[in-house]
Amino acid sequence: MLDTATLIEVIIIIVKAWLLTAIIFSLPMPLTWLERKVAGHIHVRLGPMRVGPHGILQPLADTLKLILKEDIVPDRADRFLFKLAPLIAMIPAFLVFVAIPFGENVTIPFVNREVSLYLSDLNVGILYVLAIGGLGIYGIIFGGWASNSKYALLGGLRSAAQMISYEIALSFACIGVVMMTDTLSLLEMVRAQAGGIHHWNVLYLPIGPVWFVIFIIAALAEMNRIPFDLPEDEGTLASGFHTEYSGMRFSYFMLAEYVAMVSVSVLTVIMFFGGWHPPLDGALFNFVPGIFWFMAKVVAFIYFFMWLRFTLPRYRYDQLMTIGWKILIPLSLVSVLITGLMKI
Amino acid sequence: MSNGSSRITDFIKKALFVDFIKGLAITLRYNVSRSITLRYPDQEKWVPYRRFRGQHTLNMDANGRELCVACELCAKACPTKCITVIPMEDDSGRGIADRVAKVWKVELTRCLFCGYCEDACPTRAVRLGRDYELACFDLSCATKNKEELLQPQSIPETINGGFVVKAKFVRSPEGIKVVPDLRMSKKRLL
Repeated sequence: MLDTATLIEVIIIIVKAWLLTAIIFSLPMPLTWLERKVAGHIHVRLGPMRVGPHGILQPLADTLKLILKEDIVPDRADRFLFKLAPLIAMIPAFLVFVAIPFGENVTIPFVNREVSLYLSDLNVGILYVLAIGGLGIYGIIFGGWASNSKYALLGGLRSAAQMISYEIALSFACIGVVMMTDTLSLLEMVRAQAGGIHHWNVLYLPIGPVWFVIFIIAALAEMNRIPFDLPEDEGTLASGFHTEYSGMRFSYFMLAEYVAMVSVSVLTVIMFFGGWHPPLDGALFNFVPGIFWFMAKVVAFIYFFMWLRFTLPRYRYDQLMTIGWKILIPLSLVSVLITGLMKI
Repeated sequence: MSNGSSRITDFIKKALFVDFIKGLAITLRYNVSRSITLRYPDQEKWVPYRRFRGQHTLNMDANGRELCVACELCAKACPTKCITVIPMEDDSGRGIADRVAKVWKVELTRCLFCGYCEDACPTRAVRLGRDYELACFDLSCATKNKEELLQPQSIPETINGGFVVKAKFVRSPEGIKVVPDLRMSKKRLL
């Protein structure tokens, strides 16, 4: 039953899955470093400078510190949920990447074998990403609930309310992209944007920029970053849902947060910025491999999110709700209408 | 807010994220601007101006004679009474006159670096110098006596000061020191 071709196919998929997991697992390290450097330079400081050249080994030192720290479980905590919560927060963040394409098929030299740069091209990729991405909230709610601490619980509850409010706008933004590109598959979405910057969804005038703004705002709220990091508001909630966490369990939450940032950047690039397509359709631009364009765009967005973090103050809770329910949702409903009219 | 047109401009500003973009432009400008961090004590050190008032120093004239004539005016002028001067007679040519200080010591724990001793000194023997790393492990270094104060300070008088130079952090059993590289190959203003 199992012939060689199928076997090789399975092995390739396993290798790709391992590779992807390893890359994503190690991504938060350079990202924490980058975040601290960006923070430092925006504050006209230097950021980490002492561990390695320009502090490049700082994340390793931090990891070592987190591993060596005592793993505290609060006395009255729900032990099972408390230990489960970081994993529930982390795993969906990784699972999102199953459906994300990183480029067209490439041919490996020497072996002469075509390999796809994605784990699976789901024809409902965008739905899968939204569904799995929404699961991460359980980790935060469980963490807040199981800690038996009022700050953690309030952080978890805020997070839940925030997610519910912004999930709608986020889904609408995805609907907008689906309407613009006529497909639910992320791979097809990128293919629909081929041929230069004016074909990208963000410049699908007049409605593309609106969808992009809705998506970015909702995504910022979804990944709990400033200006929408109400669940871990230091000023009022100690540090929110992960107040009681320490050591490696805490670092799982951080890992989930950074992976979420990467996945949101990747999604933005795929949905609005033409994925791996170069900005101009010329021989020189096409010569550069698509994965390079893809990475460059993703890095630009990661920088954008960090830049935003050190620019904007945190929104008040009622403002957050107002933006979500009174502005983004009506705006996205109107945008659906306009997009529909444009498609006639 | 009262009239319609300002509300409309307000709405347009909000819809186009004008204030956000202004804020982002400011932070971006800071991001690419030069950092103001002084990497002291690892790699850089501030060289103070001549007017800086650090640890005392006792000067000598060009022939290597002590300028101090032990007139005790500095001790009298000192508001915290931290300077002790005991004069003695010496005609061997150690000082510029036949009266030199047998003891000239200053207690840095009490000194407030006001510079009155400088002003009081008729021979310009005592000066507040530019050494400012005065921390140590016990009180033994808090009292500086004449022999130590006659030693030249780490920054020669010829250097104007007022900039940051590369420095080296030296750790030795006697304590830690930050040695500035006064060739000033990489000096910058603070």
